[in-house]
Amino acid sequence: MFEPTIEQRTVKNEVATVKGKSRLFKVKSTDLIPPFYLWCGLILLALFTLAPFVYLFTSSISKTEELLSGHLVPHSPTLENYYRLFTGNGAAEFIAAMKNSIIVSLGTTVFTLALAIFASYAFSKVVFPFRNSALFTVLAMQLLPSISIIAPLYVMMRNGITVAIPFTNVILLHTPPLLDTVWSLIISYTTFSLPFAIWIMTGYFQTIPKALEEAAIIDGCSRMGSLFRIIIPLAMPGIAATAIFTLLLAWDEFMFASAFTQSFASKTLPIAIREFIGKHNIDWGLMTAGGFIASLPPVLVSVFLYKYIVGGLAGGGVKE
Amino acid sequence: MEKPAGKSAKFRLMGKKQSKDLFFAVILLLPTFYILFKTFLFPIYQSLVWSMYKYHMLDGSDVVFVGFSNFTALFKNHDFWTATYFTGYFTVLSTAAELVLGLFSALLLNQMFRGRVFFRMIIIIPWAMLTLVNGLLWKWIFQPGNGSFTIILKKIHVLSASENPLWLADAHHIINSVVVADVWKMTPFMTLLLLAGLQAIPSTLYEAAMMDGAGFWKKLRYVTIPQLFPILMIAVVLRTIAAFRVYDILTVFTGDPTTSISYLTFNKAFRYFYLGEASAMAWVSTAIILVFIVLYIRMLKKNSHEV
Repeated sequence: MFEPTIEQRTVKNEVATVKGKSRLFKVKSTDLIPPFYLWCGLILLALFTLAPFVYLFTSSISKTEELLSGHLVPHSPTLENYYRLFTGNGAAEFIAAMKNSIIVSLGTTVFTLALAIFASYAFSKVVFPFRNSALFTVLAMQLLPSISIIAPLYVMMRNGITVAIPFTNVILLHTPPLLDTVWSLIISYTTFSLPFAIWIMTGYFQTIPKALEEAAIIDGCSRMGSLFRIIIPLAMPGIAATAIFTLLLAWDEFMFASAFTQSFASKTLPIAIREFIGKHNIDWGLMTAGGFIASLPPVLVSVFLYKYIVGGLAGGGVKE
Repeated sequence: MEKPAGKSAKFRLMGKKQSKDLFFAVILLLPTFYILFKTFLFPIYQSLVWSMYKYHMLDGSDVVFVGFSNFTALFKNHDFWTATYFTGYFTVLSTAAELVLGLFSALLLNQMFRGRVFFRMIIIIPWAMLTLVNGLLWKWIFQPGNGSFTIILKKIHVLSASENPLWLADAHHIINSVVVADVWKMTPFMTLLLLAGLQAIPSTLYEAAMMDGAGFWKKLRYVTIPQLFPILMIAVVLRTIAAFRVYDILTVFTGDPTTSISYLTFNKAFRYFYLGEASAMAWVSTAIILVFIVLYIRMLKKNSHEV
């Protein structure tokens, strides 16, 4: 089920082409598309991919009058919209939303990784009954729509969460109501990220040969020790991929955020941006500036850490 | 993946090593299982229970058991069927478009050419954008009058200067625009999945096809698609599941909740606080998606056996 990741295969392909130096003269058999059509296709692909993103940026540095008169490229670029975004009327709320988004995504990522690393280790390296059934249950949870649990979670957050030992009356912790706090979001996003985090990391952990761990145990390492000294360092690309997916998911999530948050104590960026709409006149300049700022972190993370994302996708990870 | 222990082994008396392993696994899994049970499995069960009650969260009325009447009321509700129709329309159209475009992009990016890494990197940009911002961006593009779509069509003389079509005039137009936005954002996901699949196709198959004089379409038809079929199916099911729950992007385009089942459910729950009816509606989506999940898991299992 878990095949070599994309990078490994790419490397193989590249090695193959270096060996067969003839690629300038002979079309490779796996190259289906002749060069002319290839470049036509690539240009279209780049245009379709980049043009809307560039338009978002050029709109954000345009004056309102230019946007209204339909200039696609600003004649006199200005940072006015960004200035208004960070100093104008809604500035305090937008900055608060940025802060909340950062706290929620980092918090979710830390909790998810801390829990999922142990769970994935159990799923990949320890033999126990019903292991595969449990793993597929986790996979099914990854795909269930969030709408199916949102109402019960809302009531749970409103009443506060009780952590108790099952089948006893021992209550370990009872939280105050969590609605309109970042905690409500961190907890619900962790719930949603855990299944896919476990799924991706189990895949990565399984690719690490058993012999390595056995050697460590013979050398006197405990199982926990071998998890931290052998498995985690070797599975770093998988852990990185999981972390990126979790970050992006928490940064992007809208449905829970719009149900659970009411004030700028907990509103995240998608909510703040959503609220630019709904007034009679949409201020496109301000909105594109806000949208560009909010999209910049995930876009930069994905472009720079692109190879981890590709590896994660190939390893069976699914982030929507 | 290793083979799970056989049925008999599970119930045999376990050796010392196995019971130690079991204990270790329980310790490792306990926190995760506790959380998933508490915040995922139990809520799903709870919403199934609520779906059979009349439960309004704010008006203080009694919670009354009503059996299946929430469901029967739902199936008589015109809004629900409108929302189902639009959700289906959106899911089929966007998944189909993403499949075709994603396949061709993957074919392009699978070839050797200068700057391949650059092209592979830029296609990630739309996928990484905030869904909300993606919606807003396309709404801006489809604005009548000064939106760039109208302006570009005028520049290339598809539209005459006096024309000013309303691209977002009604629910149908809006769904079509949302499909465009979704295709822009999610085609890269499809591309990357299929690219991984393409790289696993042995080149000897193409060489054999070339010997037989096959051109582009024939190679595609007789080598690529059959070889890629398992991954194509997985990609389609995954996108179907994801597209079916479309919600956030719609809220940017329209205040009309009948444009998707999720939208209608969300409004029922958090605008009007009819938690009983909302739970019934949520369970209809859950049941539909469960069918796809079963399909998906069966495909995954079949693929892993073949490898």
